[in-house]
Amino acid sequence: MTLDMPSIPLTLLVLVGVGSPALLLALLGVASLVNRPLPERWTGPLAGSLMAIACAALGMAFVVYGMTETGPQLLSYGAWSASHEGGMAIEFLVDRLSLAFAALSTAIAGVVSAFSNRYLHREAGYNRYFVLFAVFVTGMLLVALAGNVAVLFIGWELVGLSSALLVAFFQERPASVSNAFRVVSVYRISDAAMLSAAVLLRHVAGTDSLSLLFGGAAPTVGLSATNATIIAILLVVAVAGKSALLPFSSWLPRAMEGPTPSSAVYYGSLSIHAGCFLLLRAAPLLEQASAARLLAGGLGAATALFAGMTARVQSDMKSSLAYASLTQVGIIVTEIAVGWYTLAFIHLAGHACFRLLQFLSAPNVLHDLHGLEDAIGDHASDRGHLRVVRSDRARRQLFLIALERGFLDRILDRVVVEPFTGLAGLLTRVDQWLCDAVLPTRLPAPVDGGNQDE
Amino acid sequence: MSDARLWLAGLVALPALVIGASCFRVDVERLRRLAVASGVAMVLAALVVALSPPLRDFSIRTSALTWIPGGEDLIRIDTLSSVLLPFAAALWLLTVAVTPRAALDRSGLRRTALATLLTLTSFLTESGVVLLLLSVASVWTFLSALADPAHRYQRRVVAVYLGASTLLFAVGVALLVSPGVQNTGIETVAMWLIVVAALVRKGIVPFHAWVPEVFDHGRLGPAILFNAPQVGAYMTVVLIVPRASPEMLRTIALLALGTAVYGAGLALVQRSARRACGYLFMSQSALVMAGLDCTSVTALAGGLLVWLSAGLGFAGLARCVLVLEARRGRLDLTSYHGGYDRMPLLAISFLAMGLACTGFPGTLGFIGQELLVDGAVDVFPVMGFAVVIASALTGLAVLRMYFSLFCGRSDLPAHPSLRLGLRPREAWTFVALVIALIGLGLAPRPLVDSRFDASDEILGVRQERVSGR
Repeated sequence: MTLDMPSIPLTLLVLVGVGSPALLLALLGVASLVNRPLPERWTGPLAGSLMAIACAALGMAFVVYGMTETGPQLLSYGAWSASHEGGMAIEFLVDRLSLAFAALSTAIAGVVSAFSNRYLHREAGYNRYFVLFAVFVTGMLLVALAGNVAVLFIGWELVGLSSALLVAFFQERPASVSNAFRVVSVYRISDAAMLSAAVLLRHVAGTDSLSLLFGGAAPTVGLSATNATIIAILLVVAVAGKSALLPFSSWLPRAMEGPTPSSAVYYGSLSIHAGCFLLLRAAPLLEQASAARLLAGGLGAATALFAGMTARVQSDMKSSLAYASLTQVGIIVTEIAVGWYTLAFIHLAGHACFRLLQFLSAPNVLHDLHGLEDAIGDHASDRGHLRVVRSDRARRQLFLIALERGFLDRILDRVVVEPFTGLAGLLTRVDQWLCDAVLPTRLPAPVDGGNQDE
Repeated sequence: MSDARLWLAGLVALPALVIGASCFRVDVERLRRLAVASGVAMVLAALVVALSPPLRDFSIRTSALTWIPGGEDLIRIDTLSSVLLPFAAALWLLTVAVTPRAALDRSGLRRTALATLLTLTSFLTESGVVLLLLSVASVWTFLSALADPAHRYQRRVVAVYLGASTLLFAVGVALLVSPGVQNTGIETVAMWLIVVAALVRKGIVPFHAWVPEVFDHGRLGPAILFNAPQVGAYMTVVLIVPRASPEMLRTIALLALGTAVYGAGLALVQRSARRACGYLFMSQSALVMAGLDCTSVTALAGGLLVWLSAGLGFAGLARCVLVLEARRGRLDLTSYHGGYDRMPLLAISFLAMGLACTGFPGTLGFIGQELLVDGAVDVFPVMGFAVVIASALTGLAVLRMYFSLFCGRSDLPAHPSLRLGLRPREAWTFVALVIALIGLGLAPRPLVDSRFDASDEILGVRQERVSGR
């Protein structure tokens, strides 16, 4: 890939695009930190305006880039920190794909911001929601435009954290909080896989530049086929975690505990597609790693089938939509694995917009449906579950698997959580024994003592 | 005021002033105000020293305590220590500013000032003998904090572990400063003794059992002040890194890495918030140790940065737990306690400081861990992945604590007279600490450059010693 020198307007436009949500985050974050959150009448318009500015800037950047007809450009905004090996630079990789996804992200964020302003009116967590929303949009734009692994990882982490905290938005509900912890647990696996890929890339290739890696220059940076395959597989694992592909799908319905606008923007339109976008970006690397490509295709197809089946038996609207969304994500991942990149991106963009609309209109649709059912005195429709399967027995078994969401939670508990907690509990007891071995008798605390526990 | 001696005298005089004042029958709140004012003054003075190049190049050398030709620095301010001075001062300020009133007494304030004085002077010397004397004094200070009958068992555990550590350190230093031991087997033995002493002091597996015990059942405040400055890391930088063989450093780094993962994993499943803090500290402290023993400039700089970020972040996090305990009593992590809406600032501070510990982007910890992984992976490839796993587990542990301590239905009585929010002094201290951690994370260049200079100097000294052999 040939990297051209960036033109000044493009540099400025991208800076404004990424800077606007970051500015929103800074304003709302500092105000919250000093315990003086901005009033609703300021927050909503401010968020809307800054999202509109970001969208306009990135849209213009897309147009400018298209008009200049240059190749991919690496925009550098200086070094964030320095080291003897070059340090960490703030770099954005600008091409049609990244600019289109960034512009789409800000457009969707703008719509959701406007919707949220009304939907969460007078909600106790209104300010917290917008802080986390600003974190999310900033993170998404960093993922979309990342020019090196460090920037990509920062964006990836910001999206993950804001997602988990928004799942726990109604934090007085224990279910929301425990579900948020489940979500963040899977995200950490995804983050660890992403960071491991970055570490390996730096170790074997001596670079963290995505322009080289995602531009198909892996062999020129000294990346052997084996290393390329390992890095690509780690990226697929990271994508599987973030996009809820099998075997990590069980967190997705749990994530529906958050408010509807956040469910829409995360699990309907943007966050769930972040993994697909990363795979699209890494397509040149995938082409050199057939095992990783096969893995991605297999996971995508299996997820599409599983989610398609599970979506049909869900008893609540948001879970049903989430699995429907996952079905399409699985198909998009399969398209990428097959090599239909343009189709995959069009599918991604179309699905993100369509599913956003579905999520946002779901409460109204439900309201209307209840009114209709009250009027006719019966259920409005009976879709029938898994009727495509002829055999009653097979249908019942599939129904059970779909209803239990593939037993994924139970499998995860048995395979990961229980052994881990068991081992950790044993080690904790060993630690206590190590103290007791030094001092055989644990002395009882006196009844009137121990008030100085600080 | 360009004389470094005056600045040093000022730095030492401030905690000494509080120690002196605590000997009189002064009202405790007044004494606290004096300690807070002294802490603020000390932070500012230490910052002046750190930011002023002429003041950073000061030393008093002596050959009375060592065989090294030309002697060693009895007192010195260099690139390494100049940043550690405001760090020690900030930890003291944090301690005196947010200690709950119920736990405040004159002897406690005297102990915190003394502990700070000892930490500060430790950071100002490279003499093994002086470090030994200061180490004995700081262990004694810590033990005296556990003198009440309720903590007899923990006092004995600490006495056994840290007593053994101090003894090993003493024998090691005695052997090291003996004439004619250079390049002999005795020097190697001395180094191993000092290494084990440092490992015990830093709670590295398998010498770690005292850390969770003292955090869980001992007194958390003194434990934070004793552990957060990580004097064991300083011992490592000054005494071990310049002299140790590559095998020795590799052994320390591998033990430290194992501890980082072990501590983070166990922090994730603890029922007690205090014990979880203990394991978190072990993990963070081990990460620093791993970075220091890599002999890579970048990893060493990363370790030095994680030292600061983890020290401040961890101390802040544990202090948040204490502040919360003052309002709710002992905290267990098996249920949700709620209360975010009544203590939002405390919750935000807890989360921000916890994220700084995990190396989350935007905090100082992120840069430190990035550099640590970057530099270490070239020396020990497995190390980079171990740091990644430790970081992922630490992040989960911190979020689990946050969810448990601040989310869910509040178990606090809703009586309007019950004030749960932070007091202004607590609020400003936590906000300042969060701003420092995020500010240094967003604009890290000066600090990163300074840590690279320090690691260049440390490895330069090592290179000189190695080539001298």
